[in-house]
Formats: sequence, structure tokens, C-alpha cells
Amino acid sequence: MQEWQFVVPEKKHKKKFFGNLKTEVIDAKLCCHCAACAAICPVYGITAGDKPIDFPNWVKDCVDCGACIKVCPRWEYKPLNGIGNYVEAISAKSRRFRGQDGAMVSEITATALEMGLVEKAIFVSRDEDWRTKVITIREPSQLYDRKVTGTKYCYADSIPALKEAILSSKAVAFVGTPCMVSAVRKMQKSFKKFERVKLVIGLFCTENFYHHQLSEFLLKHKGVDLMKATKTDIKKGKFIVRFIDGSRISFPVKELEEIIPSGCKVCQDFSAIESDVSVGSVGSESGFSTVLVRTEIAKAIVDKIKEKGTAEIKEPDLGAVQKLCDYKIKIHPYPPKKKEEKGEKG
Amino acid sequence: MINEIIATLIEIFSSNSMQIPLIQPLVDYLMEIPLLNILVALILWRPFFAVVIMPGLIVLMLYLLYIVWFERKLTARIQWRVGPLEVARPIRGAIQALADGLRYFFQEAIVHRDAHRPYFVQLPILAFIPILLPIAFIPAGNAVGIKTPYAIQLIVAFLALIPITIIAIGWASNNRFAFVGSVREALMYVAYEIPFIIAVISMIYLYGSGDPYVAVEKQSLLPGAILNPIAFLVFLITMLMATSRLPFEIPEADQEIAFGPFVEYSGMLFGLVMVLAYEKLYIMALLFVILFLGGWNGIYCDLLGDLNAPLWLFIKTIVVISILAIVRSMYARYRIDQTLRYSFSWLIAFSIVALVVGVVAGWIV
Amino acid sequence: MKVEKISRSPIAELKRHVDVIQEAFKQALIPDRITIEYPRERRKYPDNLRGFIVLDKSKCISCFRCAQICPANAIQMGFYDNFYPSVDYTKCIFCHFCVESCPTGALSGSNLHDMAFKSLEDMKVKTTQMMRLPTIIREDKQTVEYFVTKREWRLVRRKELEDLSVLRIIPKIKPKRAFCEEPESCLGCRQCMEVCPHDAIVMERCEVTLEGEVVGKGCILKVTEKCVGCGLCVRQCPMKILTLKEVE
Repeated sequence: MQEWQFVVPEKKHKKKFFGNLKTEVIDAKLCCHCAACAAICPVYGITAGDKPIDFPNWVKDCVDCGACIKVCPRWEYKPLNGIGNYVEAISAKSRRFRGQDGAMVSEITATALEMGLVEKAIFVSRDEDWRTKVITIREPSQLYDRKVTGTKYCYADSIPALKEAILSSKAVAFVGTPCMVSAVRKMQKSFKKFERVKLVIGLFCTENFYHHQLSEFLLKHKGVDLMKATKTDIKKGKFIVRFIDGSRISFPVKELEEIIPSGCKVCQDFSAIESDVSVGSVGSESGFSTVLVRTEIAKAIVDKIKEKGTAEIKEPDLGAVQKLCDYKIKIHPYPPKKKEEKGEKG
Repeated sequence: MINEIIATLIEIFSSNSMQIPLIQPLVDYLMEIPLLNILVALILWRPFFAVVIMPGLIVLMLYLLYIVWFERKLTARIQWRVGPLEVARPIRGAIQALADGLRYFFQEAIVHRDAHRPYFVQLPILAFIPILLPIAFIPAGNAVGIKTPYAIQLIVAFLALIPITIIAIGWASNNRFAFVGSVREALMYVAYEIPFIIAVISMIYLYGSGDPYVAVEKQSLLPGAILNPIAFLVFLITMLMATSRLPFEIPEADQEIAFGPFVEYSGMLFGLVMVLAYEKLYIMALLFVILFLGGWNGIYCDLLGDLNAPLWLFIKTIVVISILAIVRSMYARYRIDQTLRYSFSWLIAFSIVALVVGVVAGWIV
Repeated sequence: MKVEKISRSPIAELKRHVDVIQEAFKQALIPDRITIEYPRERRKYPDNLRGFIVLDKSKCISCFRCAQICPANAIQMGFYDNFYPSVDYTKCIFCHFCVESCPTGALSGSNLHDMAFKSLEDMKVKTTQMMRLPTIIREDKQTVEYFVTKREWRLVRRKELEDLSVLRIIPKIKPKRAFCEEPESCLGCRQCMEVCPHDAIVMERCEVTLEGEVVGKGCILKVTEKCVGCGLCVRQCPMKILTLKEVE
């Protein structure tokens, strides 16, 4: 006769656990759309996708297990900020892959696969219309596809794919925004099986968008047809779209203010301080990526990259990174200031 | 009055009656009984005997019964199978043909809407006329229907009429396969008729006349097969072609043309068309035996008397047909262009050579 | 394999004709017959040819695995005191996946291959009919076996008859029970408890302690002795931490 124990978290309201999550996180406009709750829900009732997180008919269908609360990074939210701890900081450009800047996310994943540290990696690809699609990378050769590498400024349900991957594989790598990285760390604390996520790569992030809102804005206000776009960039406060015919369009990111989701507006984590390694464009010249190595496994990978010479290494400008971390704390205060106070806006 | 008629009839019959010493006492006894005697006299009347009993219609029926079963059993044996077995298991399925015929009686003979109804229904019956008429001319020793010195030519003439009916049958069916089968039959007709006729003519030259009696008499020393072996071969091959037997089963190939001109037939009409080919084979085999194998020459048995000749004819015909049955299982089917080519090149050449040999041998003998 | 060119000279053709005639006459006289006169003789089938499926009701634990794995959808579960399988022989393809997947060895195969049913409805064999072999009526008087070599086929006829009522041997299977391999990953969703058809998993509320101090509320899940090892909870667990382990 075997027995085992599980912890039931404390409810804040007299509802089922999803009701609690809804009141405390979703309706409080804190939800960052990391989709960790959708991944962990045992009855697959929580829906994510290109719309806000919801559990239709949760009053009847929620089984009241409390797993969604255990993994949500915005439940009892204490924002993390700053540049975080790191053992090494480099600016690098991959010699074999082409991506957003230096393609260092692809390079690190490929090296990890080749070293045998991980078996699978969860990446985000896109289709012709720049809609996100989550794929599993098993071979470095899959990273030569230009649709797989490069930044997509829209939500993707990476964490549900991660949960499926850890059920079948013992070592998985993950790439995500700082909120997703926090969610994964919370999952690793609550449920031991997530310790199979051996490598967490975080991206520098200021905000994310819903695909339908972003494409509609670009089409209506800027006349941009995403089907003809080859690259999207946010650099130095400007949103830049490059097209097949070589032309480009650029406008200040401030114009996208109205479509920034509410969950991003309370996030202060720019450099993904809970990840194993953080990668981004800030602090490096054009064509190079800044890499902040935080843990031992990331150090082993970067040492291997240096040893094999698969990337060109330079010195990064960490001052710029620090500046943006501080900027993000400034514009996203928590708890958020009311709209009447016209001071430093969030 | 009636007694007089009966008496005249009995006299006519008895004057030309078959002499069979074996059953003569029985016949004598039966002739005493008033009503039976006319029947017995009729049966033993030579023309009647030849036409109806042997080598005539009743023997034809028995032969059909035998050949269907024997051919299927023999080909099955060679092909590692068993053949028909279940109908009458103790006699190993010997009456399979009877069972088939009975089944055709009960099956519905469908005349489809697009067929030319009069021809479709009547032609199989009409086709029997040129097939069965030669029986009146073929002699068997003393028993003969109509005695004529031109019997062989008449038989060849009648045999030449049969393919016309088959072509017409295919035409009446109004069906693609039947049409193609008819065309193939027409092509085969052209291919075999000329060598066949030339071979027969060569034998007529050899014997000096078209009278079967002369032919059989001249074969008392050597059979015609040795006197003119080339005509023997040519006749054999054209016999296979004429009756649509493998390896020349071209007009009615099951796998190629879905049974050719006869594809739309079912029920009793199908039974009729099935036996057309067998009966043509019977007539040609009779001709073959008369021309090449010595006809009714054989060991004379005193007891049997007049029955000798028909019996020997019958036995030889059965042997010939049985050998043709084995040929069916040995060879594959020729293509239509191959048959035409070989027929018009080799067969005609051989038949002309046979003609020359026949003329020369006829002048010698 | 090389294909030889056939020579077309008249001598070769004549020789081929003679060969054919020889072979035909040989076969006509001494045939190598390979037809089996069923049902008077019966062919000896290979030893493990799959046949009629027999159920041992006492061993069945209603796990539904046979019905789920059947590739032809031929097994329906009917309810008596519990769910038991019944095979529809209009669909069964005799693959015996059900026999192999049965965790307790309740289903077993037999050597019966020629089955006759009086009507199409009779072919849906019910559970009660599956529990023993059907009536065997034998008409065969001998057994036939093929011996095939590269050169020839031969039939050997023997007088002894095969015993058809033998059931195939099932290996000894130990009973299994559900076991949680990684309790630290348990979500607490209790789906295993909900799906168990025998109510073998029970829950009790308790308090979670850490170094002697009560830090929160929790629950204990227990796998009781009612567990028969059907494996439904193993399939249902969203974190895949349950398995079946053999009971000593």
C-alpha cells in the first residue's frame, strides 16, 4: 500500500483555484500570458493562444487542484529587476547560424545538443504571416531555417510544449521571455519532473504583443503587410520592419503603447535574471549579441563555443544593458501608478 | 391396310439391315413380336443406324458427355489439380457434363435489350445445321446415311459454313467483346481455311477420289499419315485452329476477350454454344480418321460383323480427340498476329508441299 | 539472376516441343497432385497459427486493454457483474493483439481456425460463449502436410488427426499494482482517483510539516489493495508519474 503527499496552496477567495487565479491575476491585469497554467492544468481546461488566458466553464470543469497557482509567476507577485548575477559577459556572433543579431541563442542550443547536455530544445518558429508556432529542435541542422531563428514579437505557447517534452525526454532546453523563465523556475520548485529542463535561455525583453493586434496595427496605421516582411527589430526605441525587396519602415515604439498588454506593463525584469544564460542585442554592435552567462551549465557551453571557435567573441557594453534595466524599472512601476497621476508614466 | 404398310416397312428395313452375329439370336426372337419388330428393324436399318446411333447422334451425345469430363480431368491432372469430382463421387465425377446441362436448363436465358433478338436466339440453333449435316454422309463400313462419291468435299463445304454463323452470333450480341471476338474469328477463319482445304485436296489427289470408301480401302496397307505426313501435320494444326482449341483459342479466350462472341449467352443458349465447338471437333476428327488413320480398318472380329467398322471408327476418333485434349494443357496461347503470320507463311507453304507430295504419291500408288 | 537468350533455331524449337510433350505425358500418368480434399482431409497448420479466442472470466480485471488495442474494433465490452470482452468475428482479423496485451492472461488463443456460424448475428460471439471452445465436429480422416523444396512440392498424407481442443500456453503473469514513481511531481489533481473503476485510490486530508512546523495544508493519496493493475490511472496521470509494479 503506497501513499504520497501533495501540498494544497492557500486560497485567497472562496472559489475554485482557477477562480482565485482569475481574480488575483487575470482580472487584476497582471497576467503575462506565459501559459504556464495552461501547460500544467491536468484537465487541459485553461486555454492560451492569441487571446487572453481563460478557462471556459471553469465553475464546473475546474478540478480544484491548485497546480495553476503553484506555477503562476504573477501569483503573489514580487517583481524581479536589475541585471542579475552573472559569471561572464561576452558579445558574440555565431559563425554558422544567422538569426536576429548574432544568432547566439541558436549557437548555444546547437552546442548544448552537440555536447549531449540536452536532447530537445523548445523553440518558436513562424509561418508566412508571422504567426508563432512552437517547434522542437532535436538536431542543430534544424536551426539553419531562417523561420526558426530570429525574434518574433508575439506570444507563443512554449511552456505547454515544454511540459509535453519533459514527459518524454530527460534533458530539455528552453528559450523564453523573462516571465516564462520565472514561470519555469517556479515549476521546477513545485514539481520535481521539471528539473529535466536543464538549460533555460532568457531573452532581453521590454514588452510583447498579441499577434492579431500587432498585425492589425501595422496594416492599418503603417500599411505594413507582414507577408512581405523578412525581419522585425526593436532597436533604440524604434520598431523596424525589413521587407523582401530591401525596403524598410521604422517608427517609434511609443506608438505601439495602446496595444501593449497589461501584464507587460508591470514587468520590471529586462534581462531574465532567473535564466541560465541571457541573450539580447542591447550592449553589442550591429550583428552581435550580448550573452550573460549566469550558471555553470551555461559556462560549460560558452567555454565549448570558445574552444571550438564557432562564434566570434568581443567585449560587450554592459552599461547600456544596465541603463535599459533601470529604464524598465522606471516605466513599469509596481504597484502601477493610477492614470490621474501624470508623473513618470508606467 | 396398316398391316400392309408395316409389312412393306419391315421389308425395306430388313433388306438393308446391319448384320451383327453377336446379337442375331436376340434380334430373331424380337422380330417375332408384332410391335417390337418394326422398332428393332428400324434401329438396325443401316441408314438409321449410321445417322442416329453410330457414328451419329447418340454416339455424339455420349462423346460430349465423355469429352467434357475427360478433358477437364486430364488437364487438371497435368496441372496438379483434381478436376470435377463432387458430382458423382464414386465414379470420380464422370457425369459432370450431365450436371452442367441440367443446370443450363434451369438457368434463365437472358436476351439483353440491345441484342438483335431474332438472330441472338436463333443463330445458335441454326449453327447446328452445317455441323450436324455431315453426319448424314460419313460412312462407317456398311452403315451410311447417304452414299455419295463426293462425301469428303461435302463435309469440307459444310465445315466452311460454320464460322459464318459464329461471326453472326458475335454481331447479334451488340457488345464490344463479342464484336472483337467475331473479328478474331473472321481472321482465324481466313487463316486456317486455305491450308485446310489444300491439305484435304492433297489427300483427295492421293486417293484419286473423294469417296470415303475408296480412301479407306487405299489405306489397307499404310495409313494416310505415313503416305503424306505433311498433310497430316497441316490437318492437325488447322484442326486445332478451326475448333478454337489451345494453342489457338483466340476468338474465345477467357482472359483476353471475355469469351469472345459468346459473351452474352446464358442458360440453355449458352449450353448450345458451348457444344458447337465440340461437335465441330467431332466431325473434323471423323474426317481426320477417315483420311489419315485408316478409317474403319482394323482387326476384324467375326462375332461383331457389321458392327466392327463403326466401333473401330469410334475408338480411333476417341483416341484422336483424347490426344487433342492433352495438347490443350501443353501449350500457351498464340497471339492473333503470330497465328496469321505463321499461317500465311509456314502453313500455306507446307500445305502446298503436301499437295505436291499428294499428287506425286497419287500418281505412284 | 541472368536471363538466358532463347535460341530460335528449328532444332532447339523441336527439342522444346519434345520436352513439353514428354512432361505432359509424364504428368498425365504420374501426377504430382497438390490439391487437398477438404474436409475429408485436413491440412496440418503451423504450430502457432492463431485461432479462436477463449476467455477465462476469473482472471479478467476489466482493464479494457483488449478493446482499446484491437486494430479492427472487434472487441466490445459487455456488462455482467463487471465489464468483460466479447469478440465480433465479422471483424476479428486473428492478430491476437488482445491476447498479448491482456495483463493477467485472461484471454488465450486456441488451435481452432475453421469456424462455421449459422447466421451473421451468431458471429458476434458473446462473453458466455467465449469461455469455452465451441463444439468441434470432425469430418477429416487424414492429415495432409506439404513438403516444399526448390525442385518439387510433395503432399504427405498421414492417418493421425490433430487435436484441436488444445489451448495455447500462456506464461505465468504476476499481478501488478499502481505505484507512484515521483511523488514530488504530483500535481494534486486527483485524476487517478476519479478514473479508477475499483475506487482503489483514496485521499485523506493532512497537514504538511517542515522540520516539525506546520507550513500548510495538504492531502495524502493512498493506493489500496483493491487495485487490480488495470492501468487506467497510469494513462490518465498528466505528469506521467504512475506506473504498474509487480506485487510480491
